[in-house]
Amino acid sequence: MATLQHDLPPPAALEPPEGCGPSANRTGSFDRRRLDRLRWDPQLAARGGLAAFWALLAALIVLPCACFLMLAVSPRLFGQGSQWFTLSYLRGVFTGTTAVSLVDSLWVSAAAAGIGLLVGIPIAWLANRTLLPGRRFIAGAMWLVLVLPSWLPASGWERLVQPDGVMYRIGLDFPFITSAIMGPFGVVLLLGLRCVPFTYLTITAALRGLGQEYEDAARTHGAGRMASLRLLIPILAPAITSAIAIGFAESVSDFGVAATLAYRANFPLATYQLFANVNGFPPSFPGAAAIGWLLVGSVAVPLALQARALRGRAYRVLSGRSRPALRRRLSPRGLGASLILVIGYFSVALGVPGFGALSSSLLSDYGASLQPTLVNYRAVFENSGLSGPLGRSLIYGLITATVTVALGFLCANLLSRRGSASGALLDFLLLAAVALPGVVFGAGYIFAYNLPALSHLGLSLYQTTTLLVVAYIASSMPTNARVLVGAVSQIDPSLRNAARAHGASATRAWARGVLPALSRPLLMAWLLTFSGILLELPLSQLLYAPGSPPASVAIEDNLGNYHFGIGTAQAVVAVGLAFAVVGLALGIFRLVAPDGWRHVGEGVNE
Amino acid sequence: MHAHAQVSPDSRRPRGRYVLAGAAVATVALAGVQATATAQRTPKAGVVPLVVYSAQGYDKLETEDFSKKYHIPVQLNDNSTGPLLTEIEASKNNPKWGLLWVDGATAFAELDDQHLLVRGFEPNVHWNSLGKAALPADKSYVPTGVTLMAIMAYNKQKVAHPPRSWQALLSAKWRGQVGMNDPSQSGPTYPFIAGIMQNLGGIAKGKTYFSKLKANGLVVNPTNGPTLAALASGQINLALVQSSAGIGAYFSDHNIAVKYLNPVTILPSVIGIDAKAPAQEQKEAELFASYVLSRAGQKVMKTGDPTGDSLYYPVLSGIAPRGILPPLSGVKTQSINPYVWGPKENAINSWFDSSIVK
Repeated sequence: MATLQHDLPPPAALEPPEGCGPSANRTGSFDRRRLDRLRWDPQLAARGGLAAFWALLAALIVLPCACFLMLAVSPRLFGQGSQWFTLSYLRGVFTGTTAVSLVDSLWVSAAAAGIGLLVGIPIAWLANRTLLPGRRFIAGAMWLVLVLPSWLPASGWERLVQPDGVMYRIGLDFPFITSAIMGPFGVVLLLGLRCVPFTYLTITAALRGLGQEYEDAARTHGAGRMASLRLLIPILAPAITSAIAIGFAESVSDFGVAATLAYRANFPLATYQLFANVNGFPPSFPGAAAIGWLLVGSVAVPLALQARALRGRAYRVLSGRSRPALRRRLSPRGLGASLILVIGYFSVALGVPGFGALSSSLLSDYGASLQPTLVNYRAVFENSGLSGPLGRSLIYGLITATVTVALGFLCANLLSRRGSASGALLDFLLLAAVALPGVVFGAGYIFAYNLPALSHLGLSLYQTTTLLVVAYIASSMPTNARVLVGAVSQIDPSLRNAARAHGASATRAWARGVLPALSRPLLMAWLLTFSGILLELPLSQLLYAPGSPPASVAIEDNLGNYHFGIGTAQAVVAVGLAFAVVGLALGIFRLVAPDGWRHVGEGVNE
Repeated sequence: MHAHAQVSPDSRRPRGRYVLAGAAVATVALAGVQATATAQRTPKAGVVPLVVYSAQGYDKLETEDFSKKYHIPVQLNDNSTGPLLTEIEASKNNPKWGLLWVDGATAFAELDDQHLLVRGFEPNVHWNSLGKAALPADKSYVPTGVTLMAIMAYNKQKVAHPPRSWQALLSAKWRGQVGMNDPSQSGPTYPFIAGIMQNLGGIAKGKTYFSKLKANGLVVNPTNGPTLAALASGQINLALVQSSAGIGAYFSDHNIAVKYLNPVTILPSVIGIDAKAPAQEQKEAELFASYVLSRAGQKVMKTGDPTGDSLYYPVLSGIAPRGILPPLSGVKTQSINPYVWGPKENAINSWFDSSIVK
């Protein structure tokens, strides 16, 4: 409530501007000064801006999702059935395979978020607070894990451990590994590995804002290492809870693992059941919508835990007084354990999928001979028609990432104001959107923006690139905001106020006081969105403008038309390109950004 | 730790500017994208762009040739069958497609039952027996070629004497060696299951057959590609897949051979026209269907995807299939009535998923 009150302008701002009230010049001849004051009232603009922002969120996220979800109780609304109101579809999700899949999805996602935390926090700490050899490569490798579409690691694992897979063909006869990976354990492991980068990003952003002074204070008062940790972990609570929430929501909405490894393991997950409803013919959108409701409802659990953990606390620790943290030298035993953790993680998260993708793309005969050949790559570069779609996806990715980061930053700002009703609503809205699979967004966008009434008004957005990019933005923004909220929560207003006190304008004060501290998290959020869009499939399939296919559709076209090797080679090329862009962006940041921007939160050697 | 954060009024002030700036960035970016899209969609005078939804491997070449010949712009939505049908159903109150071209007639029968297809159109061509068998009575769709579902692909190095009948697949000799696709992920697989059920005399008998096949160690993969990969790796020795996929696999692995088991169900590739499209677009769609069935159009179909969809049997007299396709003489083919089997698709696929895949 306190924050809500702060949203209101001070009483003076509610007074009519001079010249507009009862004492206004009745001849209407405003002088220049009065006109200027009318033109820009910061408080009014802030409120107008916020209203516009909420309207934008409603149009981008609420309307399409609501249109889709409403079908669960009113199929006739969009011609998907004869009933105006029914509860039969909602009742249906609590029976049979769908009910089992929902329970599976919930516990699997919780476990995956836990794995993400257990592995991600130590790696983030090692990369940011120690002198671990090779720590500079950790961020890049994390990006590679994020860039990979989730079906790629799953296919890699399948290729390795399935009966008559590579493991058996090289003489390693370990059926217990096959049954473990091709079952719930494998599903949790894969989803957990995918949660690690999200934890790493949020914790890294938070650690960079956490100066040495807190640890020093604890040590000064006689705290040991564990006691210091007990002090620091609560300060990182927004980032930790954010990582749990996003890990859970990303896992519960994942389709890549659900459609590959989980499917092959006869371990049904909710997203696959939702897909089966949409992919059948005729599709059952109401049935899919009913599952969608439960997915949305499922994010209430991590959100409630988060609200409980953060209630009544403030996390603004990054100010002008923050001191660089010390990078510690690890003991030999600690070094060994750390290297095992980091190398082990990346071997499993990158090595196996890399092997799967590369081996598929280097074999021309469905893997019969294990004889590598470049024939698929030659086909890609000679005549696969990939260059146009890839170029298109690059542009879509650039636009989407830029707009999404701007909007995601605003969302993160609102989310960081704990205790406000609007912040809580936004939190739920964004996380619910993360929990919904892309196909829900895609179909929802068709229902919402292809209404006959809109066409009669001359507003035909469906099958335009505009709607596709808007949908990309809407689907990326929730994750983006979640990644940024940890860093934004730590910004102390004193950073900006100091600049204001020295006469800087509001914009300049933000640019000089806050932007340096947020530049790296913003760049990371931009890259995260860009990488996600480059190979995004469900939205692209349903919404792309005919004649302008993006890269993922072109690749899927080959995978679905028996050209499996060429399709995989195309995926490898696209992932390589995404990684090149990530490297380029990080390189430009290193070269162009002022020295201070690059070293905010960076530790100094012990 | 402070219980409440201090928020100075000043710290809130610029937010409106940021929102406006963000909105401006979004507007400019999207306006740019829209301008590009609008420029791409501007049709020539007298014609409207023909929007083609297709899952065929040769569709890009076919639409380009058609455009060149008739000066009609074509906007191609080249996608998998599943997303195309999802899009059509989601947009049926305000459809934006003009022509749909995918494998399998059951989906078209469903669309016809919903009055979403133009009826009564038949190109002026000479059908062969396959074409006549695939043509619907109300002429709501047009067959353009035929593949078979399923044929049996096997590794001739490992299998010297492949089974000769569907019943033989149930014998202990082939335990754990047979693989097929999942109908809920592979569109062409449902007609195969329906064909087996029809041939055996009904759904119940068909279910018994597939249950026995499962008891004999049937391996179910999502689609043709993974099933053929399982064959290549030796996980299975007999793969029940679409004829174009099985024959196409020979190009990458010369040890793969195919055998047709009687009866084999024909799977037509089909064109349907949107009943709600503008009249001009419907005319253009009819022209496109006629072009596909012309000699020039058939040439593109036969050459456009030589290791994939071009491996089809023509539906026209005087047009021969590609030389690599085995002749159909001596093979008993059957058609399933899509209007009978189409409405049963979801129920049978659900049964297959819950009883056979699991």
